[in-house]
Amino acid sequence: MSTAYEAYRRATDLGTPAAAASTREITLTIDGEEVTVPEGITVLRAAALNGVNIPRLCATDSLEPFGSCRLCLVEIEGMKGLPASCTTEAKQGMKVTTQNKKVADTRRNVMELYISDHPLDCLTCPTNGDCELQDMAGAVGLREVRYGYAGENHLDAKKDQSNPYFTFDPSKCIVCSRCVRACEEVQGTFALTIQGRGFESKVSPSQNQPFLDSECVSCGACIQACPTATLTENTLIEKGQPEHSVITTCAYCGVGCSFRAEMKGQEVVRMMPNKDGHANHGHSCVKGRFAFGYATHKDRITKPMIRETIHEPWREVSWDEAFTYAANKIRSIQGKYGNGSVGGITSSRCTNEDVYVVQKLVRAAFGNNNVDTCARVCHSPTGFGLKATLGESAGTQSFDSVMKSDVVLVIGANPTDAHPVFASQMKRRLREGAKLIVVDPRQIDLVRTPHVEASYHLPLRPGTNVAIVNALAHTIVSEGLEKTQFIEERCDPAGYKAWREFILDPQNSPEHVAEETGVDPQSVRAAARLFASVPNAAIYYGLGVTEHSQGSTTVVAIANLAMCTGNIGREGVGVNPLRGQNNVQGSCDMGSFPHELPGYRHVSDDATRALFSREWGVELQPHPGMRIPNMFDAAVAGQFKALYVQGEDVAQSDPDTHHVTAALSALECMIVQDLFLNETAKFATVFFPGSSFLEKNGTFTNAERRISPVRKVMEPLAGLEDWEITQRLAQALGYPMNYSHPSEIMDEIARLTPTFEGVSYEKLDKLGSIQWPCNAKAENGTPTMHIGEFVRGKGLFRVTPYVPTDEVTTRMYPLLLTTGRILSQYNVGAQTRRTANLKWHDEDVLEIHPHDAEQRGIEEGDWVGLRSRAGETVLRAVLTERVQPGVVYTTFHHPESGANVVTTDNSDWATNCPEYKVTAVQAHKVAKLSDWQQNFEKFTEEQIEHLNRARSPETVS
Amino acid sequence: MDIEKLVKMANQIAANCDYGADKDKVAAVVADHLTRFWTPAMRVAIIEGHRNQLIDLAPMAARAVERLELPKSGL
Repeated sequence: MSTAYEAYRRATDLGTPAAAASTREITLTIDGEEVTVPEGITVLRAAALNGVNIPRLCATDSLEPFGSCRLCLVEIEGMKGLPASCTTEAKQGMKVTTQNKKVADTRRNVMELYISDHPLDCLTCPTNGDCELQDMAGAVGLREVRYGYAGENHLDAKKDQSNPYFTFDPSKCIVCSRCVRACEEVQGTFALTIQGRGFESKVSPSQNQPFLDSECVSCGACIQACPTATLTENTLIEKGQPEHSVITTCAYCGVGCSFRAEMKGQEVVRMMPNKDGHANHGHSCVKGRFAFGYATHKDRITKPMIRETIHEPWREVSWDEAFTYAANKIRSIQGKYGNGSVGGITSSRCTNEDVYVVQKLVRAAFGNNNVDTCARVCHSPTGFGLKATLGESAGTQSFDSVMKSDVVLVIGANPTDAHPVFASQMKRRLREGAKLIVVDPRQIDLVRTPHVEASYHLPLRPGTNVAIVNALAHTIVSEGLEKTQFIEERCDPAGYKAWREFILDPQNSPEHVAEETGVDPQSVRAAARLFASVPNAAIYYGLGVTEHSQGSTTVVAIANLAMCTGNIGREGVGVNPLRGQNNVQGSCDMGSFPHELPGYRHVSDDATRALFSREWGVELQPHPGMRIPNMFDAAVAGQFKALYVQGEDVAQSDPDTHHVTAALSALECMIVQDLFLNETAKFATVFFPGSSFLEKNGTFTNAERRISPVRKVMEPLAGLEDWEITQRLAQALGYPMNYSHPSEIMDEIARLTPTFEGVSYEKLDKLGSIQWPCNAKAENGTPTMHIGEFVRGKGLFRVTPYVPTDEVTTRMYPLLLTTGRILSQYNVGAQTRRTANLKWHDEDVLEIHPHDAEQRGIEEGDWVGLRSRAGETVLRAVLTERVQPGVVYTTFHHPESGANVVTTDNSDWATNCPEYKVTAVQAHKVAKLSDWQQNFEKFTEEQIEHLNRARSPETVS
Repeated sequence: MDIEKLVKMANQIAANCDYGADKDKVAAVVADHLTRFWTPAMRVAIIEGHRNQLIDLAPMAARAVERLELPKSGL
């Protein structure tokens, strides 16, 4: 991949958006030149496409035309006056004059009025050099303001600096409404409005509140849209204009937004969503846009460290010493306890290349298959369920596909919080008229949000997903709404026959399962009819589906539902897992599961193993290795002794913390490779300082199978990129691994993996991103899968009996705890807690229904003890009707909250994905933190002291 | 290895696959799942636990375990 440094420039802006897809073209004359343009675009865009840049302020191609600034006026033969080119459609034969004396005088007069109420502090203004107002003043040749500046004006308007990331300076506002429209059209939050009339008009967040207290979600869309310095990133105010930019990919959620890292030397000035980004089309969220400061946070560890046991201080050592120490430990443990007593965990936050070398190291250098990934605890059921039914362990669509959906079914996902940029796109489609069905125990924001309302919200009891999806399918089949032709042509007949018989069983009817699910059967039937009645219905799901004892069964049931309604194999439909972390899809693709080599091929397959053996020069084990929970169980049993953890925080993120920490404490050697001394690293004996996404080259693969480039914009703080660290460890173990650049790792992946056959860094540079499969049949990748035929040939319906979870309420534990995410924080919070995102969420709280709270004497803000059979923790109560009576909810972004002290070892039957979404608990008012929390505080203090000892000057010398 | 956890997992797999009249087929599916996803050591533990009547498997899980061959390598 090229370093792709570009001199900084403002992104190209054609003034108004492209027209809806049309193949027809028209010809018109602009300034005497005949030009041919797509039908349906504006005169402004037609001119811009042909190199004529008509002055404008309120128009930008990310927003619908508005026609308020009156700067883009032109003359059009046969039309009266001076029409605004941004709101005038280009027509066949039109004759347009963009510049003459009349037009120029009018524009200059308009500009003069604007500038009469605008501060003339250009030289000290943050957007000096990158300001559309300044450019337009120059373009129209403004030389004087005849009105003077003494009249009434807005120059003293107060700045709003409440948001930690941007400043709102209304004195610079020209009331073009671009920010208001961006908030509506792009983000879909409707947090901004123009308040007042005429001279009193001003931009107002919510009801004239400070930005931070308003409904603003800090996505940044208004800042991109602002043509002046009214809305400006604080980093830009501090550092000044960037001098170059590099296109890279966000390291937060599975949407995988493309960004321009706008730089000054090795410093990031700002992260700007890339308009050409295929996953995000120029949009972003508060995490990707603003929360990148963790990369240079003072907590970063930048020197390798070792220690004999976790009860002694760390010692900073050279990289060589750290590798030798780690390799010796691993080899001696294998000598003493056997080959299988060691293993590794790959990170879904690292690049494909980083992950690939870790699984290669485990298989080739450790000599076993004990490799797993954090996808184990999130989307492993997706891999299992979709492979079993459709033939490939991945989502079937592009994000853009949603723009052709007529019904969107969201089940167990909270896109506005967890996948915000895709949620904005989905909301745009819903505002256009697509219908929405939400299946979720909570009233997530999407159920009712400005200009979006779910047709049906099925508020099921946690743990009854299979029953409800079966009931939807039962309704469809029993009412004859299935797509018979699709099923006959595309699906395995024996599988369908068995499934049909199963699903028609009255025990799957909405009425029969109502008591279990708590959902009104009529709503279920109505939702099913809606889903089956439209041309294109799409299913989006998240961890609310997978993180259950029947996670895999629900994924299968979802695939069944899509197949029986013929909703696979074209745009607008499909089965769409919303992946949690940036590279969950990639880490799974790269062979991180203990039973699969890269490309989802089972280790027992002799031909595949032979292929890898030849390339890697070693014999490979034909048996599945240990999954993460198996590793922990084996560690507690004394059979598993060393673990290499790449960028994952199992001590915080995995369920049943008591068990996890017992397992980690039982290891003789734990190597953690991370940016920070995370919770897991507190149990480590070797620490390899890793590199952030800004410090390395590689690729991430998002939820739509899109492989996007990650480019190094600064040197790794600790000197090595993550793949290099793994490579050096492999070398220290005596296994030859000698890549000189991650492009060579991708070349190897392409050689060995049929779905990646056509992927190369060169092609990524050319295309921007590639959706796998990418091979001879699909040279530029595959946006929509299973067209014409399923990957497995015929789609396989599988029966999905509902088996209630063991995690049931009892007299002792009468409530169900379910867990989730919030917008401003990401996963364990290792990154976002080290940014100003803390302003929005500085502690995890317990959401409890007012009825349950009253019964327990709990009031808003009280400390509440939350106890399950696994453990107890204490959180502050928030009373809300978002949760049903009997259900409580929390997040686990902060380690001291101990949400996972309470979650249990219950897991998905097929994949052992933990049942984070259902834990039987009791809640009661308490006065102090739990024993676990008090021990946690003490342990943390000790470990910080051990770290500080390593860092203190005398230790270093 | 915590044998009780293995028993719970095997029972859970059996419960989720157990549908239809052909019980041999179900047992084969469960046994295949154990072979494809469990380490040899886990399979040895459950086979021996069952053979020696040290564990209490659900009937379908027991049927599946009885179909498993004792792994000889990868332990």
